[in-house]
Amino acid sequence: MDAAVNRFICLLKRNGVGISPAESIDAMRALACVTPADRETVRAVLRSALIKDRHDIPMFEELFELFFSLPKAAQQPPSEPDATVGAPPLKAERIVLDTEDEGYTLSGGEPPATDEIKIQPGNLAAMGENLLLKRAQSLLDQVMQRATHQVNVRRAGHSACPGDLNFADTLPTLDADLVIDVVEKLMADLHDLDVDERLIEQFASQTALVLDRLPESLKRYLERELALQAIRRVDVEPRRPAQSYRFNEHERREMEEIVRRLGRKLRGARSYRRVVSRRGRIHVARTLRNSLSYDAIPFHPVLTSQRQEKPRIAVICDVSLSVRNTARFMLHLVYSLQALFEQVKSFVFVSDLADASQYFEQLPIDEAIAAVFSGELIDCDANSNYGRALEIFCQRYLGSVTRQTTVIILGDGRGNCNPPNAWALEEIRRRVKQLIWLSPEPRGSWGLGSSDMKLYEPICHRAEVVRNLKELEHVVEAWIHRSTTAASYN
Amino acid sequence: MFESIDQTIDQLAAQQYLCDRPLATVAFVAHELSKPILIEGSAGVGKTELAKAVARALDRPLIRLQCYGGLDESRALYEWEYGKQLLYTEILRDKISHFLADTADLPEAIERLHRHEELFFAEHFIVPRPLLQAMRSPEPVVLLIDEIDRAEEHFEAFLLEVLGEFQVTVPELGTIKAKTPPYVVITSNNTRDLSDALKRRCLHLFMDYPDPARELAILRLKVPEIGEPMATQVVDVIRRLRRLDLRKAPSISETLDWAQALVLLNAESIDRGLIEQTLPLLIKYQRDTHQVSERMNWLLEGLPDAEPEPVQHDLHGPQPPLRPPRKPAVPDLQEMEARKKEHAARYFGRDRIRPDSASGGG
Repeated sequence: MDAAVNRFICLLKRNGVGISPAESIDAMRALACVTPADRETVRAVLRSALIKDRHDIPMFEELFELFFSLPKAAQQPPSEPDATVGAPPLKAERIVLDTEDEGYTLSGGEPPATDEIKIQPGNLAAMGENLLLKRAQSLLDQVMQRATHQVNVRRAGHSACPGDLNFADTLPTLDADLVIDVVEKLMADLHDLDVDERLIEQFASQTALVLDRLPESLKRYLERELALQAIRRVDVEPRRPAQSYRFNEHERREMEEIVRRLGRKLRGARSYRRVVSRRGRIHVARTLRNSLSYDAIPFHPVLTSQRQEKPRIAVICDVSLSVRNTARFMLHLVYSLQALFEQVKSFVFVSDLADASQYFEQLPIDEAIAAVFSGELIDCDANSNYGRALEIFCQRYLGSVTRQTTVIILGDGRGNCNPPNAWALEEIRRRVKQLIWLSPEPRGSWGLGSSDMKLYEPICHRAEVVRNLKELEHVVEAWIHRSTTAASYN
Repeated sequence: MFESIDQTIDQLAAQQYLCDRPLATVAFVAHELSKPILIEGSAGVGKTELAKAVARALDRPLIRLQCYGGLDESRALYEWEYGKQLLYTEILRDKISHFLADTADLPEAIERLHRHEELFFAEHFIVPRPLLQAMRSPEPVVLLIDEIDRAEEHFEAFLLEVLGEFQVTVPELGTIKAKTPPYVVITSNNTRDLSDALKRRCLHLFMDYPDPARELAILRLKVPEIGEPMATQVVDVIRRLRRLDLRKAPSISETLDWAQALVLLNAESIDRGLIEQTLPLLIKYQRDTHQVSERMNWLLEGLPDAEPEPVQHDLHGPQPPLRPPRKPAVPDLQEMEARKKEHAARYFGRDRIRPDSASGGG
């Protein structure tokens, strides 16, 4: 049972569920105190001990179904001959070796009639040689591919339908023992068929040779596969000539200054740590300590008040085509926020929304902005869809904002006639301390065309037009000024 | 004591808490392993009730710590009782001078006083708050830490020692370890993510609305006055309400309130008028009210016509998922217009700042 649970945990981890060793131990201990015969009990126990995030529940349920639906299969060690995979095992018996053809094609999928193997005795040696002399790479590769698929299927947790599982990610971890296993299985399968014994013997001797050379060929194969993967990745990357976004020192300093001022306005919640100040509540312990020299008569009461915390900010920035001309400025603002304050999360969106905090934190500004536009995170060529982006934010990232967070949305609110999902914005507003919308579009055109700003505006605490540093400065200035004059009335 | 899962179910049922098997399994395992349970779920599904029921079932006192923003250790753990310390010092003044009378010089006096220093930082000068109470209690207790997501992140870190080791550290006294580990239940409404360190130390339980059969059983148990056809009707309407896209779907506590109200109104069966009259008991947002009245026909459509017997069977069988009728695709502009006013009112009311168009336009 322990081994089975352990493998189940491995499977969960491989599917992106974070499980620490301590939690695994808890799961084992918890299972020890119930009778594990009952499937539902095991499910409840494992779920409570292992799954700590409600987003992981569907994954857990799915894998639990797969893994524990074949209880016997789950008990088998992975190197045993394969009997668990629901689909018929390796269809190697259907291999058609056509020596007439130069390429030694291996047609796997559809079984052609009855006599599966057409190997002419005279050509067998040649075929073996060819295999070894790499002239039949394609054939060998196909055998390998099948073998690795087979192994991957088996490793992936005794599932009932191999088609659901991902073969690609475990490919490099293949070990040769299992492949040999599979080739032996193939031989056994050949025996089961009504093929001429002599042929099989000859084939067997050939395979022995192949098996001897297997580690090298396997290595070669994997290397080639990896190389292929690497190439593919390189192909994808430089889709767009990265625009250079240079910022001069003056601009940078100015932005920093304004953002600092803005930050003062966006202070977070009151900290629960108290600091000595001239106003506030009496701190009994300190007052007593200070008054010891006056015979415990508190001449100098010590007052403490709660300190304001540093701002917490979440910035959501539109990087679609419609705001491309101001995006440089907007992202500069995002970058400065991220650089100056500790608790800043930044998100970028066009149609999908993604967390870009790490780019802005780790890369210099020019590279960070280039990285956002390179299309790694999100598809920058899509049409902007505010409703969808807000919905994604609500679903995935709402947990990352608290009542002390200020959410700043940078964008023009043009959702291309997609549903505006104003409820999502309302939901965000309910959760946060302040919701600010900075739009590059003049107020006059907010209601025109496909702009949803008229819907979004009343939901936000503040909505302002900001296109460049100067306007940002004005807005921040007016804002701070207004709040100080408002405070003086109190 | 919980002996087994089945017995846990029975014991909780005896305390009027009906739970399904997975929940009972977690409650039982938590008891066996002495690990805290962290319950997540929306408001009113019975998170706090579970802690109360466990306390009654195990016959242990319940100690409750209600979390809120700004909660700190002097509210959660302990506080020195300065007034008492001062008072004692004052009262004992004579005694102390008498006690120190025969000392030759000041260093000797201090040395002597020093030996009795611990008297002034003893446990009886401490006001124990819930956590310390739970640790010091001679008998095992159930500790309920309610709505932990309302407290700040700092507070979570502060709880780790309590949850992991069942001990608290008071600098002047040392470490106080619980004699018997308390049964800890933590609830969260999931308004923010909790830290991984806290999650790791707990067993997790995600509470959802109960299935119709269990809800019916709960309803019969808690509101015994309700008639038979009525109970199934109530459960059916509530189940349909939950399928709607409401901001706050009615949970069990709302179901019970509603049933209680229907009993008080002497209602025979549910109809449109009755639902409309009693809607405030079920729906907590203006926006949701609109939705419900739009779909009223669908809500009522599945009502059994006062025939209790086949419905009973129906609730246990597999059912196709309920789907409310689609909304018209065109957004209701009038409603949005109305809501805009509402937002504006809230906006001006709370912040008292006018968004003037002049500063934004330039």
